Amino acid sequence: MPELNFDKVLASLKLRLDDVLDESEFDEILKEYVGKESLLSAERKNLSNLSNEDKKVYGETLNNVNKSIVTNIKKAKEEFINNKYASLEDEENEDITIDWITNTGTHRHILSQVMDEVVNIFASIGYKVAYGPEVETSWHNFDALNTPDWHPARYESDTLYTDNDLETLLRTQTSTVQIRHMEENDPPVYIVAPGRVFRSDQLDATHSPVFHQLEGLAVDKNLKFTDLKGTLEYFVKQFFGEDIETKFIPHFFPFTEPSAEVLVKWKNGEWLEILGCGMVDPNVLNHVGYPDEYQGFAWGVGIERLAMLKYQVDHIKNFYDNDLRFLEQF
Amino acid sequence: MKILKSWLNDWIDIEAISTDDISEALESLGFEIESRTDKTPNYKNITVGKVLEIYEHPNADKVRITKVDVGSKTYEIVCGAWNFDVGAVVPVALPKSEIKDGFKIDKRDIRGVESNGMICSASELDLWDDHAGILKLSDQTKLGSDFSKIYNSTDTLWEIGVTPNRGDCMSHLGIARELSNYFNLTLKENSQSLKSNIESVIKVNSGKIKACNSYQSIEIENFTLSDSNLNIRYRLSSIGVRVINNVVDYTNYVLHDIGQPLHAFDRDKLFGTISVRFAKDNEKLKTLDEQERKLTSEDLIITDNDKPIALAGVMGGYDTEVTDTTTNLLIESAYFDKVSIMKTSRRLNLISDASIRFERGIDFNLQKQGLQRFVNLFENDQDINYSSIIDSSKNGIFYESISFDKNEIEQILGVELDDNFIRNTLIKLQIESDVSDKKIKFKSPSWRYDLERPVDLIEELAKHYGFNNFKSTLPIGNNLNSTGDYWDKRLYLSEKLSSTNFYEIQTLSFTDSLSNELFTPEKKSVSVINPIDQTQENLRTNLLTSLINTYRFNLESNGKSHRYYEINNVYDDSKHKKFKMIPNQEYSLGLLIPENETVEDRKRKTKTNNINTLANVIKNLFPSSELEHLSRPGFHKNYSYLIKLDNKILGFMGKLSYKIQSELELHDSLYIAQINTENFNFDQLKAFTYKPLSAYPFIKFDLSFSVPNDFQASNLINCIESILSDNENNISIFDNFTNEKTRNLGIRIVTRSYEKTYTETESTEILEMIVKEAESKFKIKLNKKDENAT
Repeated sequence: MPELNFDKVLASLKLRLDDVLDESEFDEILKEYVGKESLLSAERKNLSNLSNEDKKVYGETLNNVNKSIVTNIKKAKEEFINNKYASLEDEENEDITIDWITNTGTHRHILSQVMDEVVNIFASIGYKVAYGPEVETSWHNFDALNTPDWHPARYESDTLYTDNDLETLLRTQTSTVQIRHMEENDPPVYIVAPGRVFRSDQLDATHSPVFHQLEGLAVDKNLKFTDLKGTLEYFVKQFFGEDIETKFIPHFFPFTEPSAEVLVKWKNGEWLEILGCGMVDPNVLNHVGYPDEYQGFAWGVGIERLAMLKYQVDHIKNFYDNDLRFLEQF
Repeated sequence: MKILKSWLNDWIDIEAISTDDISEALESLGFEIESRTDKTPNYKNITVGKVLEIYEHPNADKVRITKVDVGSKTYEIVCGAWNFDVGAVVPVALPKSEIKDGFKIDKRDIRGVESNGMICSASELDLWDDHAGILKLSDQTKLGSDFSKIYNSTDTLWEIGVTPNRGDCMSHLGIARELSNYFNLTLKENSQSLKSNIESVIKVNSGKIKACNSYQSIEIENFTLSDSNLNIRYRLSSIGVRVINNVVDYTNYVLHDIGQPLHAFDRDKLFGTISVRFAKDNEKLKTLDEQERKLTSEDLIITDNDKPIALAGVMGGYDTEVTDTTTNLLIESAYFDKVSIMKTSRRLNLISDASIRFERGIDFNLQKQGLQRFVNLFENDQDINYSSIIDSSKNGIFYESISFDKNEIEQILGVELDDNFIRNTLIKLQIESDVSDKKIKFKSPSWRYDLERPVDLIEELAKHYGFNNFKSTLPIGNNLNSTGDYWDKRLYLSEKLSSTNFYEIQTLSFTDSLSNELFTPEKKSVSVINPIDQTQENLRTNLLTSLINTYRFNLESNGKSHRYYEINNVYDDSKHKKFKMIPNQEYSLGLLIPENETVEDRKRKTKTNNINTLANVIKNLFPSSELEHLSRPGFHKNYSYLIKLDNKILGFMGKLSYKIQSELELHDSLYIAQINTENFNFDQLKAFTYKPLSAYPFIKFDLSFSVPNDFQASNLINCIESILSDNENNISIFDNFTNEKTRNLGIRIVTRSYEKTYTETESTEILEMIVKEAESKFKIKLNKKDENAT
């Protein structure tokens, strides 16, 4: 039996592996210990000189040693690579907080975002966006909406007119789009109309001569007050969250009857008005010549109001100053 | 409108009902609660005393010494008020009591005289604002009684909103009537009948006009002008009505009690027949605020022998007003048409509790009760003589019965209402009705001019049923998942622009006339005839000024230079393209890119933009658009273009002219554009097909051509595109170097065949073909090539 000291071989391999400086050395070591010129190969050549019995025993020993060498080298190589990248990554240690700032939102104006959100909610239940002119006839803004000619809303102190006969004006409500849309389209109608409206107010913390409303209108056979309730409750839950409480209280608008205001219960327990609504007054449907079997409901919601509530914006003026410090937040 | 719980209790027994429940009832009936104040006395241990003696203070002129009897004992109290005499019954704050805001009263030396407390005014007890001096109580008040017990010191005040259709609810009676149904209480009767004891002197009629349906009067003799009683003063002052004297207080009280406005004339200043008519243009009347009013033929007036003496329902006349010397009264109680009252009160800007009620419409049957209540209140305080009521009603107003099918209720509301509920509600609301199996017949009472149609009554029933008691159902509309072209375009533009560092802005639609002139002098502005101020008298004809203003504002106040866009209407005086009567309005997009743009990162480097930056933005928004040079006001001579899409003008873009840049004191150049979003369809933007991806490797050439100064790179790109039209291509300009003599254009061509991998030879052939074609087609020359076939 040959007496090669395998422990010595493995010990020398360990020393050799400890000294490795470059990844490429591992292939050389492998060649050195198990390659053609290696001690192990020489021993393997000698196997033929042994008895069958010894051949079997010694052969197995050689195989084990070979396996052990290969495994050690492979392990050492893996470890070497791991250490190499670990120390590389160890050197990189940037302060992660230096850009940990939120200075840019989506770059879209918050009023546009809120309008989109409201439009999307109604689009999901089958409403399409309609629009109409902002400089309107008094007829569309008042008469067609059942507002008598002595109504205070018509006074020049509230409404901005664009002709001396007071026949054209800057619309004071998006409800005008109800009329424009019904004049051009047959029922059924399911629309929302977001847009600008105007009042004779100087821009300050609580007033703006320009603000946004979203008008909604549904006219079909068999639409009832219970449908109005369900639709607006759906909207409020989608916009403010499932847990929001709502209530409907009676109100008065010239163009709806019954009319209601929708209130939501705010975090502090206070009830806040968020929209006005009602069953479309039969006179309005008559004005546009819709057949008697159609009826429906309408609502109007202030976009600034929704934005102010949702994001706790305190001054309406913020929306129109376009200060980057404000714009960047949304 | 303000209402008091104790006052409502005169009409229905609601003392025992909790204030929270009443608030809930009010709201559910449609009276929005603006505020609620639970009132408690803001004082402690105030007693009632009688002034027995008054004498001079030995060391002071401005105060007097009084001897006050508080029932059990007499105290000496120094007092600085002079509005009372011996015998006055007054509230007294003895030592150890407290007046308003916890101020403790004790014995005090006032200039050498010991004062045992103080005699109080209404404001010192926080009852109401009154600077007339000491609060005088009724002579009958028991001395020594606890002051808080002699009137309703614990009370609740609501300020509520009454919708404009409910004039009948502008009084405690009106609110009580609504609540009587909610709480199932019986409405009380409060007017006592009158027994006249004098003959009337003045003749009264309601004129020959429809606008005054009823004019009634009563005359009062032998009265004393004084304070009204504490309860009236407490109630009026609590609801914000200034307490003046008994005559004025009673008229105000009746108005807030039952909703009938009254007016008191000094009878001895009236001479002929009282009547009502419309004024003649330029007729004059001095109103009791001592102003000479020029009247118009729309003003309804009260006349005395045809001479104006009062503006009906709005304000009394100066010459006939009640003064300290008045000894006889004539009280007017009338029904005036709401429209004429409204016109006069708005024109003269005279808005009073009375005019507000006439404007909304008062009960046409209430005039007599108004006078009765007035006299009842007066009689309660002092002995007076009065005439019978002169009634000159025309009885020109009446309501017809209305009948409708009961199933209309379900058709509108979505629920069926029970017959008993309907009957009970109508009874409580005093609406005459007949509810049968199939029909409801009703007749509106004299105070409910809002119930003209079946739907009006259905609303009334719904309200009393409680809106929150209805079930909810969710109908689905007929436009599932399509928001429409208008909104799709807006979203498309916003998404593209916001993702390329533009900030969206929202600015007001108004501008001064100069700003419109600057960029769009060809358009005539739409002006507001009643503008908010001179800087907002025109509607903007372009969005550019607002963009520039926003850019400047943020540069100056935030030190940041950014890109902005706005999508909103511009207006001009030409005819609207679709609708009659209204001016043209174009839903437009405005863009602004500054020359030096702040990069929002830590390093704050600046990005430099030029006219090509804007052109690139336009091309990305509208891939098949074309630019056509056209000079226009406000723009750089060369850098001014029309934007066209399918030969239709979309808008214009360019560089702000140096002249305006300098006038606006802008350091940087600005690149601006405006696009009319109504001139393209959303579908048009999406009308392109996908370019297939080749499976073969690309070959790449960087070529540099020497080109003339006015050469357009896009021509070269198009030319090469057409040579390589069978391939998948990516052709771009990577360099554009210009000096005085020459211009070099670097073009990068990346191309792949759809069929094969190009060999080196094929690649060279392609390159040579391109160069040959380009040089022969244009006056350009290849400088060098950097072939890099991969």
